[in-house]
Amino acid sequence: MSILANKNTRVLIQGITGTQASFHVRRSLDYGTNIVGGVTPGKGGQEHLGLPVFNTVKEAIEATGANASVLFVPATAVKSAVREDAEAGLELAVCISDNVPVRDMLEIKNILRGGKTIFVGPNTPGIITPGEARLGIFPENIHRKGKVGIVSRSSTLTYEAVLETNRAGLGQSTVIGLGDDMLIGMDYIEALERFSADDETEAVILIGQLGGRFEEMAAEHYKNMTRKKPVLAFVAGNAMPFGHKMGYAGDIMSGGKVSALDKQNCMREAGMTVVEKINQIHEELQKIQRLYA
Amino acid sequence: MNIHEYQAKKILNRYGIYIPRGKIAYTPNEAKKSAIHVSMRGPWMLKAQIQSGARAKGHFLEAKAGSKGGIRQVKRRRDIAVEAEKMLGATLCTPQTGPKGKFVSRIYVEAFQKVEKKFYIGLVINRLEAKITLLVAKIEDKGKDIAVIAVENPEKILKLPLDLEQGASKEQIAQVRQFLNLEEFSIRHLSRMINGMHRAFVENDATMIEINPAGVTRRGQILALDAKMSFDDKALFRHPEIKQLQDEYEQDDRTLRAGKFGFQYQEFDGGNIGCIVNGDGIALTAMDLISSKGQGTTCFLNVKGGVDKDKIAAGIKIIMTNPKVEGILINILGGFLRCNLIADGIVAAASEVGLNVPLVVRFEGTNKDEAREILQSSKLPLIITDNMEDSVDKLIQAIEESE
Repeated sequence: MSILANKNTRVLIQGITGTQASFHVRRSLDYGTNIVGGVTPGKGGQEHLGLPVFNTVKEAIEATGANASVLFVPATAVKSAVREDAEAGLELAVCISDNVPVRDMLEIKNILRGGKTIFVGPNTPGIITPGEARLGIFPENIHRKGKVGIVSRSSTLTYEAVLETNRAGLGQSTVIGLGDDMLIGMDYIEALERFSADDETEAVILIGQLGGRFEEMAAEHYKNMTRKKPVLAFVAGNAMPFGHKMGYAGDIMSGGKVSALDKQNCMREAGMTVVEKINQIHEELQKIQRLYA
Repeated sequence: MNIHEYQAKKILNRYGIYIPRGKIAYTPNEAKKSAIHVSMRGPWMLKAQIQSGARAKGHFLEAKAGSKGGIRQVKRRRDIAVEAEKMLGATLCTPQTGPKGKFVSRIYVEAFQKVEKKFYIGLVINRLEAKITLLVAKIEDKGKDIAVIAVENPEKILKLPLDLEQGASKEQIAQVRQFLNLEEFSIRHLSRMINGMHRAFVENDATMIEINPAGVTRRGQILALDAKMSFDDKALFRHPEIKQLQDEYEQDDRTLRAGKFGFQYQEFDGGNIGCIVNGDGIALTAMDLISSKGQGTTCFLNVKGGVDKDKIAAGIKIIMTNPKVEGILINILGGFLRCNLIADGIVAAASEVGLNVPLVVRFEGTNKDEAREILQSSKLPLIITDNMEDSVDKLIQAIEESE
């Protein structure tokens, strides 16, 4: 088991003919990901990287039975690409594309409301289930199949967390980058729920980030979960000095609680194990494993 | 991206929001002319244009500016140029700017507007709900400041999620009127302000609009007495007219240059280590580690997912040529970004400006082996490590030895 994506996930690539997409799709194919086709409007009927290219998501699904998609489309095309995914009822859309305007995300969130498509990102490294599926741009050579689920708003710290699970000799079940834009699709809560329902995952690493109250909400949710797994949390930013502000709207939305320490306290109170340094994760993981062995 | 009060007011006015008559001035003489232009009679308000709240409570760093804050009322015409002279070219510090303050390059001269009542009104994005949210709070004379209310009495702030297309509903506007205890006949003006703000927000890809305060006149008219607007950097390509409002005085030279390459650059007081990283999280983690060893970061450059070798080299040069940097830490975890591009950038930048301080590099992820090879064959005097904490230790040691 794993969450969201595995070797049976039938993956489409939207924007498959782009340079960055081609570079990463080739690597995902080499990794064994079950990529079944691509979508680039106007290039339907062609073949790219040995895969059939379609004009629309709907056509692609009819021909290939795809149930997930990875978006490498230009920022301005993300909105219409997601609309296609939602209308076609895809289970999962992972948006690697960066620079999606906030207003477009407001519309995208409206499009997704009430639908069944799980949208991850934008601006995310994607999802990887080691040995099975690479949906995105994760540096696959550092991943090992294993027992720890990782969910993170920070791309680069995700890689750091992966290395820590390797050091602990535990590997990863599934790794999810949520992206760190102002508005994101999937959040920590969905990931925590899915990891706790997954037999293979024994512990979860949650990497937080300054800004927003996503970690606070995750902590609140975790406190009340009946079936839960141990969570190791890390948020950087204790040394961040005063930041320039303009106006009070930000303070009103956060209630003035904006520091890394506020987040760490919240998560500790909810029963998560909070580490001060990211390279302490492997030791804490080993402690957890001894506890549950 | 942020803009100044006078620019925000101009935009809001285009959306039907009333503002007091005002004109911008870059010199004392212009200030005098602007004053006469907006009103034949005083008092006038002289408002330092920096992108920060709490300007009235601020103080100037220079003695010539006098002890008063960044918002000054002037009653006599002959005092306008005198007062403008004091503020222009001085540095204004507020609780929001930090101790360095901000340079005042221009003053907004406004006709003083008498009002009966004031309130706070803003639009912001609620990140959790993914909704534009209307914020409203009463402002009472000698009452608590909005900054304090936000933290101590958040329940005293009305928060209403708005429909993206429709904006505020009639019921929501009625709710705001009741919340503020405004006269029934004010509803027309309130509606005008809220609808104008919402349209200005959506049509210009704003991320924040704040009118603090809005003022209600004796006849029920509602005006924006102050205004702040922030815009989504990722949508500026749709708004060239807003992009050109960017005030380069608001950022220092290095930040500006890094921004032009699409990178994020930030400087801090104290510290002697410059960091080059590829992500917010990794930047903060590096800073935390450095501070846990009793040292400080003086600046960091976040090259994000950059894929252009020349831009990366130019970015690295910004750190290499910062005189406060006594040692450089490069920590790159390649995914989208390929480590070999950073290595090429380091070599190119060092050959151009010289590498005069210790440099410790740690690569992980996409194309890390190629990257290490490039650095090793360059013969540059740098240290390559395998993990972040080790790289911080080695750098601190190298800085001590080089002294």
